[in-house]
Amino acid sequence: MTGNKRIFIGSMILVLLLFVAGSHSAEARPERIVSLGPSLTEELYMLGAQDSLVGCTTYCRVPSDKKNIEKVGTVVEVNLEKIVSLKPDLVLATSLTDLRAIEKMKLLGINVIVFPTAKDFTELCGQVLQLGRLVGREKDAQELVSETKEKVAAIISKKGDRPPRTVFVQIGTKPLFAASKDSFINSVVEFAGGTNIVSGSRSGIYSREKVIKEDPDVIIIATMGLVGRSEKRAWEEYKTLKAVKESSIYIVDPYKFCGPTPGNFVSALEETVRMLRIKDE
Amino acid sequence: MIEARGLTCGYDSSFFLKDINLKVKNGEIMGIIGPNGSGKTTFLRAMTRILKPRSGTISFRERDIWTIKLEELAKMIAVVSQRSETAMMSVEEYVLLGRIPHHKRLQLIENKRDMDIARRSMELTGTLKIKDHLIDEISGGERQLALIARALTQEPDLLLLDEPTTHLDISHQVMVLNLIKRLNSELGLTVIMVLHDLNLASEYCHRLILLNEGRVRKIGSPEEVIDYRIIEEVYKTLVVVKNNPVSSRPHVFVVSEEKNLRPKIEE
Amino acid sequence: MNKKLTKWFLWVGLLIAGLVAVSLFSLSVGSAAIPIKKAAGILMGSGSGTEHTILFNIRLPRIILGLAIGGALSLAGVILQGIFRNPLVEPYTLGISGGAALGVSLHILLKLNNLTGLAGYPLAGSIGSLLVIILLYGLSAKKGILKMQGLLLTGVMISFISSSLIMLVMAISRTQDLHGIIFWIMGSLEEPSWTLIKIMLSISVVGLFLSYFYQKDLNALILGDEEALHLGVDVERAKKGLLILACVLTGCSVSLAGIIGFVGLVVPHVTRMFIGKDHRILLITSYLLGGTFLILCDTLARTIIAPMELPVGVITGIFGGSLFVYALTRKRVFVGGGS
Repeated sequence: MTGNKRIFIGSMILVLLLFVAGSHSAEARPERIVSLGPSLTEELYMLGAQDSLVGCTTYCRVPSDKKNIEKVGTVVEVNLEKIVSLKPDLVLATSLTDLRAIEKMKLLGINVIVFPTAKDFTELCGQVLQLGRLVGREKDAQELVSETKEKVAAIISKKGDRPPRTVFVQIGTKPLFAASKDSFINSVVEFAGGTNIVSGSRSGIYSREKVIKEDPDVIIIATMGLVGRSEKRAWEEYKTLKAVKESSIYIVDPYKFCGPTPGNFVSALEETVRMLRIKDE
Repeated sequence: MIEARGLTCGYDSSFFLKDINLKVKNGEIMGIIGPNGSGKTTFLRAMTRILKPRSGTISFRERDIWTIKLEELAKMIAVVSQRSETAMMSVEEYVLLGRIPHHKRLQLIENKRDMDIARRSMELTGTLKIKDHLIDEISGGERQLALIARALTQEPDLLLLDEPTTHLDISHQVMVLNLIKRLNSELGLTVIMVLHDLNLASEYCHRLILLNEGRVRKIGSPEEVIDYRIIEEVYKTLVVVKNNPVSSRPHVFVVSEEKNLRPKIEE
Repeated sequence: MNKKLTKWFLWVGLLIAGLVAVSLFSLSVGSAAIPIKKAAGILMGSGSGTEHTILFNIRLPRIILGLAIGGALSLAGVILQGIFRNPLVEPYTLGISGGAALGVSLHILLKLNNLTGLAGYPLAGSIGSLLVIILLYGLSAKKGILKMQGLLLTGVMISFISSSLIMLVMAISRTQDLHGIIFWIMGSLEEPSWTLIKIMLSISVVGLFLSYFYQKDLNALILGDEEALHLGVDVERAKKGLLILACVLTGCSVSLAGIIGFVGLVVPHVTRMFIGKDHRILLITSYLLGGTFLILCDTLARTIIAPMELPVGVITGIFGGSLFVYALTRKRVFVGGGS
């Protein structure tokens, strides 16, 4: 009993300490951050926390003058000893990071926080705020979020009321892979006033036949690599498709559409609104 | 020493040995002969516990061989079979495999006795000089001798051989069979061997068992079994039987078609 | 015979020395450069924080797991090649790995991780491989006699079926779960839990010990089933025991480290080329060489394109395969020197 009580009191004190630490954010700023996701790295820059960044993945885009930021592996395979030798006080992981590596870091006493890939705008804003709290820049985060929300609202109000458009977003080929309900792109499409025809499906593998039957107004191709053009041509073979008749098949930058950051969301939303515009408007 | 009583056995679908009775005495050389598919090898395999009898028994020194532990049996009966797979190992290593039934489960290295016995077996069979050669690089005759050496290393009381002379030239045939005869007379080893060649069987065996279509046709001395009437009936071939001028054992001569002077025998 | 014994001791000594050398090499290289002198100092106990952690908690566990799994897979390879007398059989031929992979995939698909925690993957893998072993056994053991050829074919078929089922699982799983399955299948020696590493090491060492109870039988089986029987080996019983041993070793390795190909196929062959067919020496030397080989491959995998890491299976495949082909072209030399 006494043991339990002691643990209880201990945790209360811990919570209090955290609370106190949280309110004095300037003192709780981690000084050595390792980011294991390109979006997280980008968000750190947006929050002004780039000077604390000591390690990131080979996929992260950092300015070339930042020589002191070490590469610690790819998004999925991380080099543990590199991370350990950087002595980080905060490691930001994604849901793509190798689970075993996350477990190991936790066992080694490293503070690892996992940010699952944001599925929609609300979750994204929540994550930015969480990240802001973690790096002691809550105010910057709040500003970033409200700024982004304003931009989004502006885009939506500019777009005005338009008849709903059906959209198919292709993110992979062979097998045909679509952005489904839980994807970030789906959220972008919905904000832009589109209806994703795949939103009912759980897995991303989708049949081409079904696409032709659903006949979306717009097809967006966000595939990695160079297959985008040949995929566009493949769709254009189906002359009966509305998207083909209206020439509304678009190839977009997958990094912008699949990397959930506030900046990406805004620019992807702008682009999608443009794509969803009815041609003779 | 070994006795088959009412032995009936065979493979799943095909052929059966039917009601075989045979008693092999201590120190005897027994030859199993018969046409292709008469059940010679099947009989041998029944004696080595590879085939289980459907009915009847095979007993070794009055004990059913199926009640004897395999390891114990391997110390008493050694087999030289045609089915041995060759491996990339030296003759000496190969011969030493014959000590396996004598080894304890975790015995990792041969003791002096094992080495001595293997050496003696190789001496007896004349394979000592090739002991460092690889088993799959020596000639067929040498390999047969190495097989026998391995069997002898088991220190058996009974040696079973399955066609030890096939694929050998005449000098090696005689070399192998002389060795077997010597082992029999000097070491008192009881031998049962399947032989294809009736003349070699007649020359080297004390007694013969002639099988035909899974049944015993005749058991007896070579003189009793190698009778032209019996041989012609079983092998459905015209033959002449004459005695070997040196050993006076019966020998079989085939009669080719154009010199077919004898009338057909009808029974 | 003392000559033979001396030769054996020499081989075992040589391989242990090799294992130690490769382990030390593996300890001292990595993306975080720790000079070998300093590493030795840390090993002796004069440890400072970060470097101590890197050596003991990041590099050492991988080395130990490499020994355990490389050894276990090679041992299973020697055993299976011995009982099937087929040089192409390896621990994964019998579908055990397929079963384990399927177990893990389902585990990921059904999100059981919240329930089982850290040991979830190995647990799911073990259950999968165990089910395959039982299935194999049930299908092939007719009247108590294992039909070896049938067993082999059944195993290959189970492999195909399970790889199709894994593809099915991958097709219906969400994007986020997909990479988990793919990465597990690629295989890795990264294992956070010391407990599981210790368990694996014990299983593989006990497996090596148990295999020595069958050394006689394995040696007799070189000559074929019937000849082994003539040498007093209870062939069916020996094969059953050996098969179960190989399956357990494979199942545990696969469950813990995923599918690391080639070790169980190549190492037994290479060892046999140098050392010969005698299982009394082959079992231990294969184990040691397998462990050394996997540690070396893992070290290469994590240093070649540092800071990125390659899946260790990539290295075992390329390195092991080319080594094997090279050894095959020089086989005559070894034959001459081997007798």
